[in-house]
Amino acid sequence: MARPRSRRGGQTRDGWVLMLPVVVLLGLFLVAPVLMALWVSVSDWRGNGSPFGGDVGFVGLENYRQILAGGGLAERDFGTSLRNNLFYVVLVVPLQTVLALLLAVLVTRRSLRGRGFFRTAFYFPSVTSSVAITVLWLFLFSTSGVVNKILGWVGLNGPAWFQDPRGVLHLLLGAVGVDRAPAALGEHGFLGITWWDWVAGPSVAMSAFVLMAVFTTSGTFMLLFIAALNNIGDEIEEAGLIDGANAWQRFRHVTLPMLRPTLFTVLTLGLIGTWQVFDQIYTGTQGGPAKTTLTPAYLSFQSAFVNQRWGQGAAIAFVLFAIIVVLTLVQRWALSEDRGSRGERARAAAVRAGATARRQGGGVTGGAA
Amino acid sequence: MSRNRTSLASVAAAACAGLLTLSACGGGSGFDDGGSSGEGGGDGKITVLIGSSGDAETEAVEKAVADWSQESGTDAEVTVASDLNQQLSQGFASSNPPDVFYMSTDQLGGYVENGSLLAYGDQLSNADDFYPNLRQAFTVDDEFYCAPKDFSTLALWINTEKWEAAGLTDADVPTTWEELADVAATLKQGKQPGLAFSPEYQRVGAFFPQAGGAMTNEQQTEATVDTPENEEALDYVQRLLEDGSAQYSSTLGAGWGGEAFGKELAPMTIEGNWLVGAMQNDFPDVDYTVAELPAGPQGKGTLAFTNCWGIAESSPEQEQAVDLVEKLTSAEDQAAFAQAFGVIPSVESAAAA
Amino acid sequence: MSAGTPTAPRARATGTYVTYAVLVLLAVVYVMPFLIQVATSFKTEADAAANPLSLVPTTATAEAYRTLFVDSPLPTWFANSVIVTLFVTTGRVLFCSMAGYALARVPFRGRALAFAVLVAIMAVPNVVLLIPKFLVINQLAIYDSYAGLIIPLLADASAVFIMKGFFESVPASVEEAARIDGAGTFRIFWSVVLPMARPAVMTVIILSFQASWNELNHFIVASQDPDLFNLTKGVAQLASGALSQGTQYPLKLAAALLMTLPVALVFFVFQKRIVNTTTGAVKE
Repeated sequence: MARPRSRRGGQTRDGWVLMLPVVVLLGLFLVAPVLMALWVSVSDWRGNGSPFGGDVGFVGLENYRQILAGGGLAERDFGTSLRNNLFYVVLVVPLQTVLALLLAVLVTRRSLRGRGFFRTAFYFPSVTSSVAITVLWLFLFSTSGVVNKILGWVGLNGPAWFQDPRGVLHLLLGAVGVDRAPAALGEHGFLGITWWDWVAGPSVAMSAFVLMAVFTTSGTFMLLFIAALNNIGDEIEEAGLIDGANAWQRFRHVTLPMLRPTLFTVLTLGLIGTWQVFDQIYTGTQGGPAKTTLTPAYLSFQSAFVNQRWGQGAAIAFVLFAIIVVLTLVQRWALSEDRGSRGERARAAAVRAGATARRQGGGVTGGAA
Repeated sequence: MSRNRTSLASVAAAACAGLLTLSACGGGSGFDDGGSSGEGGGDGKITVLIGSSGDAETEAVEKAVADWSQESGTDAEVTVASDLNQQLSQGFASSNPPDVFYMSTDQLGGYVENGSLLAYGDQLSNADDFYPNLRQAFTVDDEFYCAPKDFSTLALWINTEKWEAAGLTDADVPTTWEELADVAATLKQGKQPGLAFSPEYQRVGAFFPQAGGAMTNEQQTEATVDTPENEEALDYVQRLLEDGSAQYSSTLGAGWGGEAFGKELAPMTIEGNWLVGAMQNDFPDVDYTVAELPAGPQGKGTLAFTNCWGIAESSPEQEQAVDLVEKLTSAEDQAAFAQAFGVIPSVESAAAA
Repeated sequence: MSAGTPTAPRARATGTYVTYAVLVLLAVVYVMPFLIQVATSFKTEADAAANPLSLVPTTATAEAYRTLFVDSPLPTWFANSVIVTLFVTTGRVLFCSMAGYALARVPFRGRALAFAVLVAIMAVPNVVLLIPKFLVINQLAIYDSYAGLIIPLLADASAVFIMKGFFESVPASVEEAARIDGAGTFRIFWSVVLPMARPAVMTVIILSFQASWNELNHFIVASQDPDLFNLTKGVAQLASGALSQGTQYPLKLAAALLMTLPVALVFFVFQKRIVNTTTGAVKE
């Protein structure tokens, strides 16, 4: 029973008491681990006994040097894992975003029957665990499996998906007769792998994981878009209609600009999520075939728990963390409101104004150009 | 063609004559009755962590360890790992490793470097009984760290029924590369190849020694992959693959060569003795025979795979642990293991027995 | 539809047909894998390999399920998943609503800082924590125990935000009335505000249930004892199976199906709420 005089002090006490469990837990299992990992990443601890034992030494940035400029296997593996994950991100993020938006637009059509069924069907993969989906995927994409059977109907000879290490871009280049590196690409490189290998594209095996990611995330993002679309409401739609714009123009110039915040959320979540591929790899391929599904997250785990290079594993984790933070900031900047195309929003505003004016009997024409 | 498992001993001899690359096959099936967790610590109890290929191996090791407990009066418990690598590393990092454990050749380096392993090899009374090249595989900087527990080699597995259906007889068992290519072509039927093996260097690499090549030099200090000998071997394998006589098991939709063979997707495969257990358990109806791998231009060769018994440097029961390993690597115990799950003893005296 | 002209009725009808066609096609793509999964789990292995596409087993068999329930540790995994999920969900609801209430309604010193730290914490990717989490759990001597599986998962920043958002929408007058009656902060939280928060609590329950049921990497680093495996870890190792296992697709798919069932049930029962939750969570 706090008396008014000490109300503020009492509030502070009460507030922190209420916060206590969460603060302690997050402190213990989020903040402390990060600090510990920082220590491990600059130490020579090799996973034998406590990392704080007397025999563990400080080695500065040696572990980081090993993976970023060591010239050895550690650097090559890290470069390979970055390449694999980069192609994964570049494919998954746009695909899942576009598909989620498409699904949302289709499902929110007025007068659609069976809306609930469709929404459920598209969202269901999102609630299953990545382990269960990976098991299913291994079956669907096995050499004589479902996907290849379907490809067979149209006369295509499907690959041995999860065993096929060939890069998709290399395959495409091979199809037009470029099957070896131009000298400039073959001799120089970055992070221990040649430019020619950097442009290999995702391997066929990784492509199967790309499809899986799109399959399991599009439902969640669809829901976000549905919410936004419902918020936008019908008013705008009408405005566009009256101004004689067709459906595509309405979508392009009215709906899309208003979806900007949601789009931003979806892209951010997508970017953060796709740089952390771990569960699928642990369950499915363990980095194979030929290291083409190795991802930084899995490599970090493998370095520490399998190869006893704990310092390198922790260093990889922090470099990955840095990549995610930097990319998120870049993306925030690229999509930020004041850099958005003013014309778009001006046009949308004009449409709104036009609609209002029209309802009031005016004759302003906004809208589609 | 009435070879059976014991004929593998002759393969073993060949293997040891021209050895080769050593690597390991570990991993458990996730279907073993796991014991309780490995509690290390100085409670006078020995904990043994193994990665088992199946029930046969688990039971055999459990029995041998139990016998030792009886004799020595020291408690010992066997735990089957579901993921040996991870459980070992977590055990060491939490200062609570098992006392005795399976250790593979590719893991050895990391554990030696971080000081986890006791270099007890030369304390064994039977230290000189191991095949020199197996011993070599577990020796780092002249320290013999880890006693080879047994080994396995690759052989050619032939599906009897399909063999006979193709009009082939005992006399046709291939002994050279040319003969292997011929019978593989003979056995090929439409899309079905004559020979299938897993898409990994641990199978394709079996052709290296036959061509006089190897993955590393004798001392295992340098990689020697890009030699003309290896190229010759790879060219040969590529020819088989290109004309469809041979295919990777993955192309056939099988997880590994043994599965392709067991499911009769291919009449021949190149696999190790662990396939015996798999055939018994999963494909009991398939009749097969085993032959040595055919000789290449430079003679016979195969790959051997081995694991060893590691002992933790921090184990409070080191003496007892060494004593246990000594028993487990004795000719007698290894003969029992050979009977139970088809491995080849790592000590020369067992071959004489 | 031609550009620039008002949509004619016929064009609109065509548009509707096209929409339905596209939707149905997509729905088939999304649903088929699961139907195939159910069918395959009742097939023999040979049948699964020969007719992967058929939705009707040639000879239906429950062998995969028998193996899983009788000859495998799956029941243990299942029980562990249930135990962990129950504890984690309960703990999260309690702790996160406490913190959410404090952030929303209690003007305590350091509130802005606490909030900022929570936001920052949300940005730390999970995989970065694999190695350090293991180290901490180890140092706290809860490695290889239920405590190690459960406690680290008890707090979750996003659940705090959901609760905070809800409490902010509760009219202040409710609390004022209670305060005038002489109730303290905890009393108001426990007896007045929390009972009102049912929708938000349900949301946190659903999300926590899903998150802890589907969690994998924390369990990988928190234990090694086979008796402490839960479904995700068990099935993952079953899937990456070792020698002498073969593909065993009916078995693996059955295991995956069994682990999907509880989340699927929760999903279908609370479907409306989940959809509203996600849609409500968008802060424009």
